Amino acid sequence: MSDTVEAGPVELTCSVAGQHADSTDAEARFPDEALTAMRQTGLLGLMAPAEFGGGDGTLTDLVTTTIELGKADMSVAMIFAMHCQQVATLARYGGGRLRSEVLPAVAEGKMYLASVTTEAGKGGHLLTSESPVDQAGDVLRIDRRAPIVTGGAHADGFLITMAMPGATSPAQVDLLYAARDQVTLEILGDWQPLGARATESLPMRLVGAVPEWQVIGEHGGFRAVAAGFFAPVGHIGWAAAWLGAAAGAYSRVLGYIRSANGRKQFDPSSELLLTRLADARARLDVVHALLRHTVSVVESAAELTTPSVQLLVNALKTEAATGCFAVADMLVELTGLRHGYLTGSPLRLERTFRDLRSASLNYGNDRLRLANGSLALMDTGVRLA
Amino acid sequence: MDTEFVAVLRPYLKYAGDREITADARLRDLGLDSMRAIELLFAIEDTFGVSIPDERLTDETFETGRSLWSVVEELRT
Repeated sequence: MSDTVEAGPVELTCSVAGQHADSTDAEARFPDEALTAMRQTGLLGLMAPAEFGGGDGTLTDLVTTTIELGKADMSVAMIFAMHCQQVATLARYGGGRLRSEVLPAVAEGKMYLASVTTEAGKGGHLLTSESPVDQAGDVLRIDRRAPIVTGGAHADGFLITMAMPGATSPAQVDLLYAARDQVTLEILGDWQPLGARATESLPMRLVGAVPEWQVIGEHGGFRAVAAGFFAPVGHIGWAAAWLGAAAGAYSRVLGYIRSANGRKQFDPSSELLLTRLADARARLDVVHALLRHTVSVVESAAELTTPSVQLLVNALKTEAATGCFAVADMLVELTGLRHGYLTGSPLRLERTFRDLRSASLNYGNDRLRLANGSLALMDTGVRLA
Repeated sequence: MDTEFVAVLRPYLKYAGDREITADARLRDLGLDSMRAIELLFAIEDTFGVSIPDERLTDETFETGRSLWSVVEELRT
């Protein structure tokens, strides 16, 4: 996808997202206006292959776009990145019939896909499910409760993890596609979080049935899909959204310091100001470098399940989460009570701070650090990916 | 697979229960994750007096009891 094709849709979506970010945050509601913009501009089809009329986007395109959206609204960026993760996974692992049914509609902006992978009682473990699919001949019956489904009430289709038919262990997991009209949705509660409020990540129950050909990959094959693609792309997309949010906040602060009003508050010869600005920029550059490097490894590595690659991908997630939140915290400290802490400040640091506080909790950093400690012991030669 | 090997495996396979652990059952399906894999590795190395080099610590090696046991046997000879 060339920059000239990309610039319009991204700019327009950012503009719409920015206009409505105050109200979606205040009301903890889904950014319908930004989703409409993504549909109309073709952005929603970024990761659909060209053969289906999509943007044929690479992971680099996904990252570049998500960072820009994140500057306008982190929730919109996360919604976009997660949609792209579903589309790219379906494009890579879906069967011919599923691909030709769903991907042209994605490319046309008619399909926003949500992910249903959370499950009560499993503590956010991606790779297990205790909700079995019930197989009756060629039909797979779904009855799935999920405590957190980002954008679920607005989605046109879902990628759902469930225990495979006849599973003898919760680690035998299927990934299924269900169109909106194949399931009934029951919303089981509300969404009133500290930040990332416009992701509208509601608890819900999905009940319905899908034909066998809507299984993505093989029965019980989700682990391979997750390790080989789904999880790395998820971490990359989230990291880009967080980096965009932190970079956007940083940009607003720089703009303010250089404005007429800002000059009254900030002295550009202040060594404290300059070293703090340098530190924040360095954190952004470090996360950005790690993000781009991880993309290049994921795009080129023959095998993504080696300890060195898994260590890198997990480290991207944990370091982006802590690094981007640290930048938001530094900016609050730098600008002080009025511009760093008050809701009404045009710098909107208070919101960015709340938004980025969620980063370490989404697919918890602690869990990834436990995994990485174990993986590190399997790579005594420290072969850095 | 050696019966002693199966006995070493079992505590790290939380979904195996009391069922037989066949040579071709996928260890990940039986509950092996990266944290348990490193604990299992230590247990195997202690029990069978081998040291499995980094380059063998792949998903392939940990795929099934058979694949893991074959690496152990190879290193023991």
